[in-house]
Amino acid sequence: MYVGVDVGGTYTDAVLLKNNRVRAMAKIPTRENLLSSLLESIDTILKDADKKEIKRIVFSTTIITNMIAGHKYDQVELLLIPGPGLTHDYYKIKPYVHIISGAVDYRGRVTARLDKQEIDAALSKIAAGGCNKVGVIGKFSPRNTSQEKRVEAIIKEKYPDWQVELGSRVGGKLNFPRRAETTYLTCATRQPYRAFLDSVQQALAEREINADVFILKADGGTLPLKGSEELPVETIFSGPAASTLGVQALTPPGETSVVVDIGGTTTDLALILSGKPLLSAKGARVRDQLTQVRALAVKSVPVGGDSVLELDGNKIIIRSERQGQAYCLGGPVPTPTDALRVLGLTSLGDQDRAAEAMGILGKALGREIKDIAARVIDQVVENISAEIEKMFWEWEQEPAYRVWEVLHKHKEKPRLVVGVGGGAAGFVNKVADRLGCSPYIPQYAAVANAIGAAVARPTMQVSLRADTEQGYYIIQEEGQQEKIKDRNFNERMALDLAKESLIKRAAKYGLEVDPDEIEVASQEVFNMIRDWHTSGRLFDVTVQTPRGITGRVGDGGDIDV
Amino acid sequence: MSKLLPKKTGLIFFPAFDWAISPTHPEREERLLYTRDQIFEEGIMDLPQIEEYSPSLALIHDLARTHFCVPRVEDQITEAHLIAAGAAILLADKIVQGEIKNGFALVRPPGHHAMRVVHGNRGFCNINNEAIMVEYLRARHKIKRIAIIDTDVHHGDGTQDIFWHDPDVLFISFHQDGRTLYPGTGFTYELGGPRAYARTINIPLPPGTTDDSLLYVVDNLILPVLADFKPDFIVNSAGQDNHYTDPLGSMRITAQGYAKLTEKLRPDLAVLEGGYAIETALPYVNMSIILALAGLDYSGVKEPDYLPGRFKETPEHKDQVRRIVQELRQRWETRDNAPIEKRDVNGNYYQRKKHIFYDTDYIEENQLEKLRLCDCCPGYLIIDTKANLGFNRPATALCISVPAAACPKCRAEAGDVFQQSKKTSQYRNVYLQDKHSDTFYGYDCEKSREWLTEGR
Repeated sequence: MYVGVDVGGTYTDAVLLKNNRVRAMAKIPTRENLLSSLLESIDTILKDADKKEIKRIVFSTTIITNMIAGHKYDQVELLLIPGPGLTHDYYKIKPYVHIISGAVDYRGRVTARLDKQEIDAALSKIAAGGCNKVGVIGKFSPRNTSQEKRVEAIIKEKYPDWQVELGSRVGGKLNFPRRAETTYLTCATRQPYRAFLDSVQQALAEREINADVFILKADGGTLPLKGSEELPVETIFSGPAASTLGVQALTPPGETSVVVDIGGTTTDLALILSGKPLLSAKGARVRDQLTQVRALAVKSVPVGGDSVLELDGNKIIIRSERQGQAYCLGGPVPTPTDALRVLGLTSLGDQDRAAEAMGILGKALGREIKDIAARVIDQVVENISAEIEKMFWEWEQEPAYRVWEVLHKHKEKPRLVVGVGGGAAGFVNKVADRLGCSPYIPQYAAVANAIGAAVARPTMQVSLRADTEQGYYIIQEEGQQEKIKDRNFNERMALDLAKESLIKRAAKYGLEVDPDEIEVASQEVFNMIRDWHTSGRLFDVTVQTPRGITGRVGDGGDIDV
Repeated sequence: MSKLLPKKTGLIFFPAFDWAISPTHPEREERLLYTRDQIFEEGIMDLPQIEEYSPSLALIHDLARTHFCVPRVEDQITEAHLIAAGAAILLADKIVQGEIKNGFALVRPPGHHAMRVVHGNRGFCNINNEAIMVEYLRARHKIKRIAIIDTDVHHGDGTQDIFWHDPDVLFISFHQDGRTLYPGTGFTYELGGPRAYARTINIPLPPGTTDDSLLYVVDNLILPVLADFKPDFIVNSAGQDNHYTDPLGSMRITAQGYAKLTEKLRPDLAVLEGGYAIETALPYVNMSIILALAGLDYSGVKEPDYLPGRFKETPEHKDQVRRIVQELRQRWETRDNAPIEKRDVNGNYYQRKKHIFYDTDYIEENQLEKLRLCDCCPGYLIIDTKANLGFNRPATALCISVPAAACPKCRAEAGDVFQQSKKTSQYRNVYLQDKHSDTFYGYDCEKSREWLTEGR
């Protein structure tokens, strides 16, 4: 039996799956104490179950999101080694940034040295401010970790109890500002996150639950609870990922669908293309800054069932805030839910109050109540549909750096519009209509997110870069640099090395990986020609455990629409 | 009124990581690899001042508007060429539509050595990205006056050839003196055809020229000429081989020098040309051009081995540059009363002979170019070409180009020439490029087969 729990902003949902069938489900309001909401939902679904049969529990929580939004973490300072390039003023805007000398270039060659005195001075300043959490981030540090490591050693020598995070371990891709941001967030959240994990484990132990426990990440994969300590920010925004995986489990394989989760004031959108959830090309945006956190491409549209409707002259304006429930449910102002009620598209609330709500808008416009309701619905549907079209357009516009990619530009049309989350289902039909798709509301739409968590699989990536001219390779995630001994080092050897490292790394987290199942996420080889001769080769290989879900749930797989 | 957001700089980065002239050629997959690393690591694409676009393909029709590709357009290009030209066109569209303030097509393959007639590859170029984009702007957006500033270390002889007779396109190229570098042209006396005199300006700089002299040329010649010409659109053929580490050129321009140059020229659109110091120059020069276009602080961009004051010119060197500037300023001042040399006129035509060598493909071409001298319009152009493709395979063609502003009489005359030439057995192919109707014809005399491409 599998358990999936999604602790969302408003509700905590949980499901118990047995043989890919939903055996129990729970939906409770999320309280301020996330742990107690989580435990209550588990207790509810496990009431009649044999705890020994539970093989796996997967959580998705907003703990990191809440920590960051509420600024509930200790002070963090960053030591940046930006070297030449963009002006340093660009980084100095942030008060917690200290710039130090040093530089590494795109090939990982050191082009400027560290300055010990300068580092000591920066550390004294940090210490004087009472901070003991430091991130060290170098430009191009994934290509050569030595300067970051040297700074770490200096810090550890002087302040052994400080928490130090290195950019090269947290963000191995090329993007210095995103790496710095990711390192900052990692540094800030690791300790409180660890405390949260400890209390989860303790609570499960008290309940005599001995299942493997995983946590959901923004990319729709999972990590073992203990392992997620290393990269807590990867668990941010796992809620939309949970819903998307849920839809994947509740629809036929290979389907191209739009996931529409209409909530109170926002509608979350995600895409499943030929059965695979679309990843964001840029990484998650946190605190208005891009990070190196791999995340699904999710868009939040500021419109939902409880959005406030207002008049501006002859126009109906949909505000992005809510002032309580819909008017038909006793709320203070007209909302899109009232419009749905008037047209009989929902059975929520009171018909007369809904009509009254539309009347408030209609009187000023001198129009029939049904007309107004239809106009409101059209407007909401148009907002959502336009955003969906934009998502597809943006995906098609993703830059291509090879002739082959330009000639084989992705183009795909959605077939299904899948409504989840239980809110405002009435809109889904209309959105599907507008986009020329079929609407689909799965049986367990209300807890699709929890189902998504339950079926999520562990994911792990390893990136290898080898530079045969300089004679070294580096496993980005481990930050370890090794000499290339074989003079005939080739593409196959690079790939084998990467796979081997992935298996080793996975074992460290208690995961077993079948070598035959390993996917190659990207692979690049460049010949380096100097003076008309091949002087070396550059290899960049990323391998990963297979993406996907453990199985389809309920009638997923044989719907007929 | 709603507050308008400041416009961004549009960027198309197309490194063509799967395209090369040959595995060890300077124009190979690896060329923009370190540039990619640099701009990605700096997070350039995330900056609020930058908008990255995905390239699209130029149409065969867009190429036929500028070039006579022998025998057919498809024979002279690969998809990579269509993407590079398409990138320049896409950014030009966005600029004219007001979506972005300026743009940089950071693309390969390059184009500025490709001339009007194309028998093969010369100077790593098959088709001229900038010229194709300029002709597109004129046909589609009715933009009249355009300036092209070529800042590659090699003379932009292809662009010069295409706009030689065009009074509405100002072509300025500075480059290392042709006596010391490919293609061996671009001297001060190359000033354009009789109807476009001094709309071609060549500034041959002595090897070893530094930032100082280069910026002197910009301030004292290029900017004043631009101010007089008042172009509606400025293009920069942004070659990066004036850099002090370039393996082909011998100049001493730095990344800072390129940034200042870009800042002063303020081009609407920059298009990458040459530059083969792929590690030591390109990552830095491309960064500085992008930052300068976006109006961002570029002072932090520095090559690892550069120290201020590293390069100095002799006083003689400086004087030589000043004399060139002075001479060309005078030519520019007298641009509207240059007499036509009698010996170049034959009946109604002004004519010149050209010998063209395609270094990459080892092709020798001889051309007789004739411009119809008309009192009512710029006149049409006839190019009689014969190329030796090697192994005694000749390619012969007659190419007729009618400008959009041609008068009815010239258009009719050009049509007659086309029809008559089809009947003679003198040429293998005959072409008529009618820019007035945006229709381009080709004819294979051996197979008696005609084809055409039409505007949308």
